[in-house]
Amino acid sequence: MKLKKLEVFSKDELEVIHSASITLLSEVGIKIDAQDTRDLLKANGARVDDNTYFVKFPESMVMENLKTVPDSFRLHGPDGSFSFEVNTSTTQFATIGTPVKIYDPKKEKGVRKSVMNDTIEQIKIVDSLENIVCSHVDVWPNDISYITIHAECIYQWVKNTKKPYGLGCLGRLASQDMMNMASIIVGGEEELIKRPRFIGFMNPTSPLHLPILMTNGFAIFTKYKQPTIIAPEAIAGSSAPVTLAGLLVQTNAEIIGSAVLSQILNPGAPIFFGTVSHVTDMRSGNSAMGSVEMGLITAGIAQLARFYNIPSRGPGAGTDSKVLDLQNGYERLQTLMLAAQAGINYITCAGTYEATLVEALELLVIDDDLVGMVKRTMDGISVDEDTIGLDVIKRVATSQKKGVNFLAESHTRKYMKSELYIPRLSDRSRRSTWQKKGSKDIIERAREKVNEILKLHQPNKLDNIMEDQLLKYMKEVQSRTFDDYKKAEGLMVDGITLPDGIEIRNNQK
Amino acid sequence: MSIREKIQEFVVEWDEEGLKNYCQRLLKNKEAKASELLKDIGAVMKFIGDQFEKEEIFLPELIGSAEVVKATIDDILDPAIRAAGEKKKSMGKVVIGTVESDVHSIGKDLVGSFLFSNGFEVYNLGVEVTADQFISKAEEVGADVIGLSSLLTMSMDFQKQVIEELKKRGLREKYKVIVGGAPTTEEWADQIGADAWADDSIEAVHKIKELLNKK
Repeated sequence: MKLKKLEVFSKDELEVIHSASITLLSEVGIKIDAQDTRDLLKANGARVDDNTYFVKFPESMVMENLKTVPDSFRLHGPDGSFSFEVNTSTTQFATIGTPVKIYDPKKEKGVRKSVMNDTIEQIKIVDSLENIVCSHVDVWPNDISYITIHAECIYQWVKNTKKPYGLGCLGRLASQDMMNMASIIVGGEEELIKRPRFIGFMNPTSPLHLPILMTNGFAIFTKYKQPTIIAPEAIAGSSAPVTLAGLLVQTNAEIIGSAVLSQILNPGAPIFFGTVSHVTDMRSGNSAMGSVEMGLITAGIAQLARFYNIPSRGPGAGTDSKVLDLQNGYERLQTLMLAAQAGINYITCAGTYEATLVEALELLVIDDDLVGMVKRTMDGISVDEDTIGLDVIKRVATSQKKGVNFLAESHTRKYMKSELYIPRLSDRSRRSTWQKKGSKDIIERAREKVNEILKLHQPNKLDNIMEDQLLKYMKEVQSRTFDDYKKAEGLMVDGITLPDGIEIRNNQK
Repeated sequence: MSIREKIQEFVVEWDEEGLKNYCQRLLKNKEAKASELLKDIGAVMKFIGDQFEKEEIFLPELIGSAEVVKATIDDILDPAIRAAGEKKKSMGKVVIGTVESDVHSIGKDLVGSFLFSNGFEVYNLGVEVTADQFISKAEEVGADVIGLSSLLTMSMDFQKQVIEELKKRGLREKYKVIVGGAPTTEEWADQIGADAWADDSIEAVHKIKELLNKK
C-alpha cells in the first residue's frame, strides 16, 4: 500500500481547532484595510466595524461560502502543452521563496545579489526538471526597476518555459498587468480563465490582518480564476502563539476567512489552503524555517485542508543554513519529507536556503532528485503475487548454476525502475571510481548538471504579433511612476516591507 | 535489418532461444561464418557496455544481455568455430573466482560479465575456489590473467596463498594476478605481491586491459 498519511490531530482535536477558529472569526474577526472589501463582506453577512476595520464572519457565512471552493483544478504553461492537476490527494512540487541573493562560490561570502539573468536561468532549469512542475517569481532580479519586475518576468517566462508561473498578487494594478499580459500570450481572457496559467500568492499578515495591497491583487486573481495560494506566515512565539495548536487556530482563521472572501468575490475561484508558518528562534528572534516544528505545523495545515476538502500548499526543502552544508541537507530533506508524508498537495521552496532568502541552482537540481526519493517513499511497498515473486526466489535459491543471483532475472528487469528510485546525483560508486571521476562532491556534480541544462535549453519560439503586443504593453508599464501605483491602490497602510528591503511609506493616513 | 541489428534485438530482449535459432539458421544456410557472427555479437556487447557506462541502461540489463550472448557463444558459435577449424580471437583469457572459505559471488560475477562484454574469454570458477583449482584451470585453458575475489577480511589471506602457490610451482611470471573485493586495498595487493588491484568491476576491466598491454 501507499504510505499512510502522517497525522498530528485526532478527529476530535481537528474539530476543536476548527471550532476555535470559527470562534475567532465570529468574535474577533479579521482586520481588513480596504473599504471596498469590507463593504462587500458586509453585504454578504459579515459584521463590520469601520473604526477598527475588523470584519467578523458568522459561522453560517463561513460554512456556506466554503462549499463553493473547488477541490481540484489544472494549471497550464504558456502555450498549454504542459499542465498538471492540483487536487486534495496528489502531491506536486514547485519552487517559491523570496531569494534576493544567489549562491556564488567565487565571492568571498559565497553569495551575491541576484539579477535578471539568474531569474531567467532558474526558469530554464525548472523547465527542464522532471519533478518540479512550476516556477515563480522567486529569484529576485535586483537589477530591474521594482515597478516593472512583474512585466519583465512574465516576458521571460513566456520565452523560456512550458510550465506555469507564480506571482505575488501585490496590488490591483500589477495584478491586472499580469492578467492582461497573460491574455495576450494565451489569446484572450476567456482562455486564461478556462485554463489558468498563473498561481497568485496572497499572504495574510499574522495575526488576523489583510493589508490593502493583498486584497486588491487577490480580487483580480480571483476574478480571472487564477489559483491563489492563501498562505499566512505566522511565526510561533512572535506573530502567533508559541503553542503550535494556538498558531494553527489563528492561521486557520486567517486562511478560511480569506477563502470566504475569495468565494464572495467569485464563487468557484480556485485557492490553495496554504502555510509558510514556522517558529521563532528564542535565542535570536529570527524565524526558523528549517525547524522540525515547521514540519509539524505544515502537517497540521495538511490535515485541516483535508478537513475542508481544499488542496493544500506547504513548504518543504526549508533550511536556515547560510552555506551548502550538512545542516542545509538535513533540514531540507526533513521538511520536504514531513510535508510529503503529511499529504501536502503542493510542496514549495525547491532551490532555496537561508529561510528562502538565497537561491542556489545547484540545490534546485538536487531538490529535483530529493523529490524523486520522496515520491518513491510515498509509493510505499506494493504487495501482490507478482511482487512477492515466490517463483523467482525459488528459481535463484535452488539453481544449480554457479553464482546465480537476482540481477539477471526478468523479474528484476521488470520491476527495477518502479521499485528502486535511481538517484541522478547521489554518488554510490566505490572510492576508486569516484576518484577517477574527479572526487566531486554533490555540489560539483549538481553544478555540472546545471551547466548541462543551461547549455541544452532551447527558448520558445514566440509568435511575432504576440511578442510585439507584449513589448508594447511592457513599454506602458515602464512609463509609470511609483506614485501611479500608490494612487491605483489607494494605499492606506503605514508601510509595507517589500522583498528587496525597499519600503513604501505613506504618511497621509 | 542487418544481421547485427537483428542480433541486437534478440540480445536486448533477452531472447536466448531466438538468438540461438537465428545464429544456427545463418550458419546452416551459410549466410554467415561463425567468426563473423562472433564479431557482430562483440559489437553489440560493446554498444550495450557503452550504454551502461553512460548510465542509459542498468546492471540487470547488461548482465542479462551478457548471459544470453554467453549461452549462444558456448552452445552454438564455439562448436561451429571448432568444427570449421577457425581460430577464436579474444581480448584475453581470464580465470576468476572467489577464494577459499568465502561464498560471496556477486561482485566477482559482475567482473566476469563486464570482462565478457569487453570481449574477454572468462572462466568463472565460482566460490570457495582453492589455489590448486585456480592454477589447474589457468594451465588448462592457457589463461593470461587470474582474478581473485574476497569479501571477508577473514578470507583475504587466501588471495595471498594462491600467489604463494604460483611461486612454489614456478608459475608466478606466467600469469598476471589481479585481486579485489570490498575489504581489499591497493596496499594489500602490493603487500601480497599481486600485479593489480581493482576497487569495482568497471575498474577491474580497465586494470586487466592495462596488465595485458604491458604484457
